[in-house]
Amino acid sequence: MLAGVLLLIFLPPLVAKDLCKDSQDGFKVRLSIKTGLGDDAYEWNESEMFLFRSTLAYAMRKHSNQDTYTIDNILVCNDTQRVSFVFVVTSTDDPDQLIPKEQVELAVRQNKHRINNAFLLSDMTLEFMGIPPTLSAPIIYDTEPWLIVFGVVIGAVAVGIVALLMSTVSKKRRAKEKAAGLSEEDEGIVKENGTALSSLGRKEGVYNQAFSNDDRFTKL
Amino acid sequence: MSKEARPSWDSPMQFVLACVSYAVGLGNVWRFPYLCQMHGGGGFLIPYLLMLFLEGIPLFCMELAIGQKMRLGSIGAWTAISPYLGGLGIASVVTSMYLCLYYNVINAWSFWYLFHSFQSVLPWAECPVNANRTGYLEECEVASPTQYFFYRETLNISSSIDENGGLHMGQALCLLLAWIIVYLFIVRGVKSTGMVVYFTATFPYVVLFIYLIRGVTLHGAWNGVKYMFTPKLEQLANPQTWINAATQIFFSLGLGFGSLIAFSSYNHHNNDFEKQAVVISLINSGTSVFASVVTFSIYGFKATFNYESCLERMRLLCLNAFDLSEESISAENVTAWISHLNITHPERFAAIASKIEHCSLEAELDTAVEGTGLAFIVYSEAIKNMPLSQLWSVLYFIMLLLLGMGSMLGNVTAIITPLADIKLLTRFLSSESINGLVCLLCLLLGFGFTSRSGSYWFTIFNEYAATLSLLFIVFIEVISVCYIYGLRRFERDIEDMLGHRPNWYWKVMWAVVSPLLLFSLFIFYIINYIQGGTPTYQAWDKDLGRSVVKEYPVYGQVFIALLLLSALSCVPLAALHSVCRRKQRGTPIREHRHA
Repeated sequence: MLAGVLLLIFLPPLVAKDLCKDSQDGFKVRLSIKTGLGDDAYEWNESEMFLFRSTLAYAMRKHSNQDTYTIDNILVCNDTQRVSFVFVVTSTDDPDQLIPKEQVELAVRQNKHRINNAFLLSDMTLEFMGIPPTLSAPIIYDTEPWLIVFGVVIGAVAVGIVALLMSTVSKKRRAKEKAAGLSEEDEGIVKENGTALSSLGRKEGVYNQAFSNDDRFTKL
Repeated sequence: MSKEARPSWDSPMQFVLACVSYAVGLGNVWRFPYLCQMHGGGGFLIPYLLMLFLEGIPLFCMELAIGQKMRLGSIGAWTAISPYLGGLGIASVVTSMYLCLYYNVINAWSFWYLFHSFQSVLPWAECPVNANRTGYLEECEVASPTQYFFYRETLNISSSIDENGGLHMGQALCLLLAWIIVYLFIVRGVKSTGMVVYFTATFPYVVLFIYLIRGVTLHGAWNGVKYMFTPKLEQLANPQTWINAATQIFFSLGLGFGSLIAFSSYNHHNNDFEKQAVVISLINSGTSVFASVVTFSIYGFKATFNYESCLERMRLLCLNAFDLSEESISAENVTAWISHLNITHPERFAAIASKIEHCSLEAELDTAVEGTGLAFIVYSEAIKNMPLSQLWSVLYFIMLLLLGMGSMLGNVTAIITPLADIKLLTRFLSSESINGLVCLLCLLLGFGFTSRSGSYWFTIFNEYAATLSLLFIVFIEVISVCYIYGLRRFERDIEDMLGHRPNWYWKVMWAVVSPLLLFSLFIFYIINYIQGGTPTYQAWDKDLGRSVVKEYPVYGQVFIALLLLSALSCVPLAALHSVCRRKQRGTPIREHRHA
């Protein structure tokens, strides 16, 4: 009778430990608190473990939409100095039945963000071995930012070129008008040998061949 | 007789700044530090400075003298020196054309990186996430985020030169922008160029100075600077060191392209080019040394960062495999712990033995990189780890752009100056149109470099288009000035311009030392080509995440040969053409020679 009572008392935790240690449906968890938080790191103790088990119970509740998951459904073993351990989740109906790995994985992935935040850690520092982290979605822009900068620069350069070309064109037009204007003045003033000198560079005066400065190929 | 006077620089300062802007280019930033590292750090300065005085300054001065005396672009100037040497000018123009085609592609890449720096997270800092958001893209995982960004997102490189893809639209747009800006700078010829060089010559120094301060204050920078400056004098016994010093001086000063002749053709007749030549060459070399201090402090930072990350990885590996508490292993005693664990738990250690890396700061510092890999991969990797990385990134790429644009100014001027001297062209087209047509032609041909295999064609041009041909061109230049035109005649021209004859240093260098050096470099290059066997290139393998060596296909090798021959053959062909024309006209050759 006494043996039977003792067995009944001690069996569940023994069975529970076996459920956790030998099961295929468990996940190894590793926390790197010092790496993640540096000087603000907290001590890993029973209370923190309690928090972990409750967040996992919360994750199971959210995933399965059943409010029956409690902290007793999360079994933990293989605690090490590293701060790593293995956990399994038992079913709410039957404490000897374990929730299959895929279900637990889905629950964890859905709520990883909440679990991380409970411990002030990130995907790098709170690792579930075998569950790949869900990385944040890439930002999708309506217009890529580089195109905007490109547009600004090329617009400014195009304006610069147009301005330069317009000023060249207007300079040439002004020069032509001045030339046309001057030729009417000069006609009566300078005339040598009866030839009109409007074809030569009258802006610089009369070109006298005798003082030609154009010996590029100086013959010595 | 010219209808309008030849345009000229507003002041001698503009000319000096234009030459500085042209000579100080990307090579000072990405080639010299590499050579310094390969050839014994501080000790490399000895052959470098020696070569500067033996060939750099004399040849630079000679080109300036020719341009200032003849007041024509390269084709006209060489035709004036001897009617049979017009081909030398044509060879210069052809080489400049090749250079323009591929050099502006680097500016396009700089623009691309610059525009992508305006984001909260630099795109080369992190790998992009894969389709189901469980991890990063595979190519990025095996390589690194910076390499992925350069090879995949910037170039979209194919795995060999045979595979052409379509054009990369972003690159094409950036190349278009680069050519429009070049056109804006040269549209009015020397008038517009003269304004721009005040900025392009000076601002890179501002950025380099800012980077120097930032660089030496980085964690671990001192490791890199110490590494660079400890001279390994035994490298001086290696002939390769001297050859590399000579070629670096030669290419860094930009001799033989015709740009220096073009720039100095706009000078006043009595401009003191001799002093300016010395000043500009010294500035160019000084900038190389300055840039390498900056580069090595960045190297030191990057090497230290990688070394410390390696130690951290090993620490985590040991902690996780043996489930030890986090405080037990620190970064300092990782190596001690590894050997301890190996002895105490050999079986468990064997499980992780394959992942153990040997972390070494020396090995990280020894990885020497040059060229586009240094500028776009190594530097951007260092920048992403700095605080306020967007600011540093923008500054750095603006500096690269200014250096590249400054050199482009010289390159394009080398083409448009001889074209402007051709009376036939200037009669029908205004100078703005000629300049625009040159830019448009280079842009259209340059689109080929924005295709998926474009980077491999870029490497062909970079290695072959302007190396051997330049040595040949400058060698013929110095021989023809000293022996065909006549050293005495040249001396008299210089006396006419400067008021005094060149002293014995110049004469000895021009007549004896420089030609000998150039000839030996030329022979060395040819021997290297012949001994090297089939030319090879580095192709990016996206599965391995690194570059693999491949041989060029036959059409690639034919193209290389064509590149070399097209420039080299201009000289003899034009000389032949000139001889034939004179025989045809019946003009006795004697009449034009007044030795």
